[in-house]
Amino acid sequence: MRLFIFLIVSTFFFSSCKKEATRWHSDWLLPVLKDTLSLSNYYNDSTLSITGSQININLSRTLLDLGLSDLIEIPDTSISQQYQANFTVSNVSPGFTFVNSLKNHELDLGDIQLKEVRVQSGQVELKVYNPLNTAVLYQIELPGVSQNGQVFVQNYTAAAGSVQNPTVAIETINLSGYDIDLSGQQGLEFNQIQSKLTLKTDPNGQTVTIYNNQIFKFEAAFKNLRFDYAKGYFGSTLIANQQQFSLPYLDKITSGSIALPDLNLSLQVENGFKMAVRAQIAQMVSTNTQGQAVELTAPSIGPSMFLAAAMGTWNNLQPSSLTLQFDANNSNVKDYLENLGAYHNITYQLQPNPWGNTSAGHDEAFAHSRLRLKVSAQMPMALNADGLTLQDTFDIDLSQDLNKSHITGATLLLDATNAFPVACDIVLYLMKDGQVAHTIIADAQLAASTLGQLDPLDGLLKKKSKIKIVLPPSVVADLQDLNQVAVSASFSTTDPQTGLATQQAIQANAFLALQIQMQLQTQIRP
Amino acid sequence: MRYLFILFLACQQLGFAQQTLLIDAYGHYNSTGVKRQITDAFLYGGLIDSSHIQTSLSRLGARNTFGLNMGLNAQWQTPWLLSKDTDKWGSSYRLVMGAGVHQYGGIQFSKDLFGLVFQGGLPYLSDTLDLSGLKVEATTFTKIGFGLVNHLTQSSFLVHFVGVQNHLSAFMNAATWYQNASTAQIDLALNGQAQINASNTMAYGLALDLDYRFGSAEYDEAPQQFQLLVQNFGIARAKQTTEYSLDGALQYAGYSLAAWQQTSLDELATGFLDSLGYEKNSAQKWIFLPAQIQLAKVCDWERPNRIEAYYGAQFILRQTYIPFVYAGAHFKVKKAWQTGVGMAYGGFGGLRAQAYSAIRFKRSQLLLRSDNIALQNGASLYLQFRCDF
Repeated sequence: MRLFIFLIVSTFFFSSCKKEATRWHSDWLLPVLKDTLSLSNYYNDSTLSITGSQININLSRTLLDLGLSDLIEIPDTSISQQYQANFTVSNVSPGFTFVNSLKNHELDLGDIQLKEVRVQSGQVELKVYNPLNTAVLYQIELPGVSQNGQVFVQNYTAAAGSVQNPTVAIETINLSGYDIDLSGQQGLEFNQIQSKLTLKTDPNGQTVTIYNNQIFKFEAAFKNLRFDYAKGYFGSTLIANQQQFSLPYLDKITSGSIALPDLNLSLQVENGFKMAVRAQIAQMVSTNTQGQAVELTAPSIGPSMFLAAAMGTWNNLQPSSLTLQFDANNSNVKDYLENLGAYHNITYQLQPNPWGNTSAGHDEAFAHSRLRLKVSAQMPMALNADGLTLQDTFDIDLSQDLNKSHITGATLLLDATNAFPVACDIVLYLMKDGQVAHTIIADAQLAASTLGQLDPLDGLLKKKSKIKIVLPPSVVADLQDLNQVAVSASFSTTDPQTGLATQQAIQANAFLALQIQMQLQTQIRP
Repeated sequence: MRYLFILFLACQQLGFAQQTLLIDAYGHYNSTGVKRQITDAFLYGGLIDSSHIQTSLSRLGARNTFGLNMGLNAQWQTPWLLSKDTDKWGSSYRLVMGAGVHQYGGIQFSKDLFGLVFQGGLPYLSDTLDLSGLKVEATTFTKIGFGLVNHLTQSSFLVHFVGVQNHLSAFMNAATWYQNASTAQIDLALNGQAQINASNTMAYGLALDLDYRFGSAEYDEAPQQFQLLVQNFGIARAKQTTEYSLDGALQYAGYSLAAWQQTSLDELATGFLDSLGYEKNSAQKWIFLPAQIQLAKVCDWERPNRIEAYYGAQFILRQTYIPFVYAGAHFKVKKAWQTGVGMAYGGFGGLRAQAYSAIRFKRSQLLLRSDNIALQNGASLYLQFRCDF
C-alpha cells in the first residue's frame, strides 16, 4: 500500500514538471509604411512653382522682421505722487477735500523722444496708501491718458490706517487701447506724463486730525507696455546684430557634392516706419558639415544703404524698400549655395534716423509698420548630385526578452516607385556605444526615374525598385546589445547612358511612393 | 462523562465498523486532428517542430476540437449509519464526505486559425482565412461536501460547496483574416465575446454529485446493473466577471511617415482596438460548472461469465465537448484480475482504442483505464482506488 501511494505521488509530481518552455516558429509579413513623398505641399507657397513640366525654385523667406515694439520699448516704469501736510490740521470734518494737485513725470527713454503713443497691450498697477484713522477717498487722474476721449480716472476708498501701518489698496488696470499724450501740459514737450491726486475724507466718518507725519501716496506701475502707434523722434541708436540660421537636413551631409544651375538671389530691405533708416549687411557666411566656409562676396555686401521714410498713414502706408541683386555676374552666390552650408551667419546693422532728428519729432510708426530683410531666389529645380551622402544616427532600443515571444530574423522590404531623377543607396550601421557592430547593405539601389519609362497616364518618368535589407538571425540576436543605428543614404543623378553624374531637372509633380514591409521570423512562447 | 462516552462510541465505530476510501484521478487530453507531439509540448515543454505542425494541418478538418479534462476526487464513506434500526430505511445509508479538484479546458477551432497561429500570416498571403466558430472554455474549481451512500447498492448523493478558481468562456462568432500579397494589407473582421474570471476573483457556489445504481432484479437469470453518474452539476456566482467584446473590421496597410512621427505605439494600438469595436465591462455572472453525466453498464465482478459486454455514454455540459460513447468486451482473467478492451468515440477526439484492468486485493481494488491506449492525438489515464477497512 505504501509503495502504491508513493507511485501515485511521484507520478503526479514528475508529470507536472515543465522542463523547458513551449515554443514554435512562425513567419509574418507586417505592413509598416505606406506613403507618397512629393513636393506638392511646397507648390505656390513661396517655395516652389510649376512652369509646364518644370519645377522652379521660387524661394521667398523673411530673415528679419522688426516691428514697433522691437524698436521702441518703454521699460516697466513706476510713478508716484504723495501729499504730506506741512503742519497739523485739527478738526478735519467728514467729506473734507484736502489736496488737489497736478504733477509731471518724465519717462527715461534714452535718445527716444515720444510725443504720443497708443497702447496695444500692457497694464498699470495702482496702489494707494492711507495713514489716516478714517477712510479716505482717492481719485487718481492721469490727464494725458485717455480712451475714446475719456481721461483715465480711478477712484478708491482706502479704509482707515495709521502712520505705522497705512492701509494699502491695489488694483491692476488693462491699458490696451489707451492713448497716451506725452507732450506735456503745453504740447511742446516729450516723454512727459502727468498725474493728479485728489483726497477726500470719509463723508460718513468722524472728525479727524491730520498730522504732518502722515503721508498720503499713490503709485502707478506701468508694466509690459507695447504700442501699435508712436509719434516723436525714435532716436538713432544703432542696432548691430548677428543672425544665425540653419537649414534642415544639410547638417546630415557627410560627403559628396552637388552642382546647381545659375540662379538669381536677391535681398530686399523694407522700411515701414516714417523715419529714415540706414542698413548695412556686413557679412554672410555659409558653413557646411565639413567645416568649409564660403563668404558671400558682392558689391552690395559691406557698404551702408539708406532707406527713405515710409509714406502714408494707417490705411495707406507705403514702405520704402531697397533690393540687392546677386547673380553669377556680380557675386559668388552659386559657390555660396553649392557649399551646402547647414549653418548661415548674417551680420547686419540697422540705424534709424542716421542724420538725427530731421523730422522735428514727427517720426511715426503704425501697427503694421515693419522693418524687414527678405531673401528670394529663383532657379529651375535641377541638381547634379554625385554621391551626396546624408547620414543620421538614431538611438534604438531593440532589446528583446528571449524568454518570451521574440523575433529571430527580419527582412525589411522596400517597394518604391521613384519619379525623381535621383538614385539612392541605403546602408544601415548598427552600433554599440558609437562603434559599428554590423553593416547592413541593401541588396539593390533605389533607382532613379531616368532609368524608368514614361507613364502615359501622367506623363512622368517612373522607375520601380524592390529593395531587401536582410537582418539575419545572427544580427537579430545581437540587436539587444545595440543602442544606435546610423542610416546612410547616398544620392546620385547619374546619366543612364554615360554612367556619369549629370545635372537633372526635377519633373513637375515628381513623387516617391514608398511601401515598407517587415518580414519577421518569430519564436512564439505562449 | 457523557462526552467521553460519545467519543468512545465514535472511536469504536471507526475502529470496527465498515468504512471505505475511494480515490479517482483522471487526466485526458485529445484532439480530432492535432498531433500529440504538439499538445505534449504544451504539457511538458519543448520546441514544436514545423513538421508536426504541417502534419497536423493536413489532418485537420474545417472544424476541430482539442480539450483537456483532469481531476482528482476523494471520497470517504464513513462508518456512521443514519440509523441502526434495520427496519428503517436509514440503516442502509452511511454518511459520506468528499472533496475534489477539477480542470476542464476545451477549444473548437478552424483549420485556418490553427495555421495562422502556428505558422504565421506569411504562408497565407492572398488567402481568406476563416477564423469563425472559435470556442474556448476553461474552468478550474475545487469542491468539498458531504452526503449519503447506500452501502448495499453503492448509490450515493453528495452536496458540495464549490470554489471556482478560473473560468474562461470565449466565442468568436465571425472572423476573417485576409492579407494582400503585394501590399501586405491586413483585413481583419472580428465578432466575438469573452468572459473571464481570473484567480483573484473567486466565484462560489454549490454542486451535486449523484451516483445511482439501477437495473434488473438480482434473481433474474442474467441481471444487468447500470450506473447513472452525475458529477459537478452545479452553479457558482462570480462577483466580478470581466466581459470583452469585439465587433468590427480593421484594414491596416501601414502608416504614413507623419503618422509614425506624431503617434505613439499605444495610440496606434488603441486605434486598432477602436476599429475592431473593442469593449470591456465588469458584471456579476453565474457560472455553470462543467457537469458530467454518465450512463454506463456496470460489470459484475461476481458473475460467472468469463466474457461480457460493457458500454456507456458520457456528456459534459460544455459546447466544446462532443458526447463520448464507448463499448467493448470485459474479460475475467482470474478471480482477482478482470480486464476489458473496446473502442471509444467523442469527447475531444475521434475513434480510438480503450482498455482497462481491475485488480482486487483482500480489502482494496485498483482500476486503471485508458480511453486512448494508442496515444492517438492525445493521452488518457483513469485511476480508481478503493479501500474497504
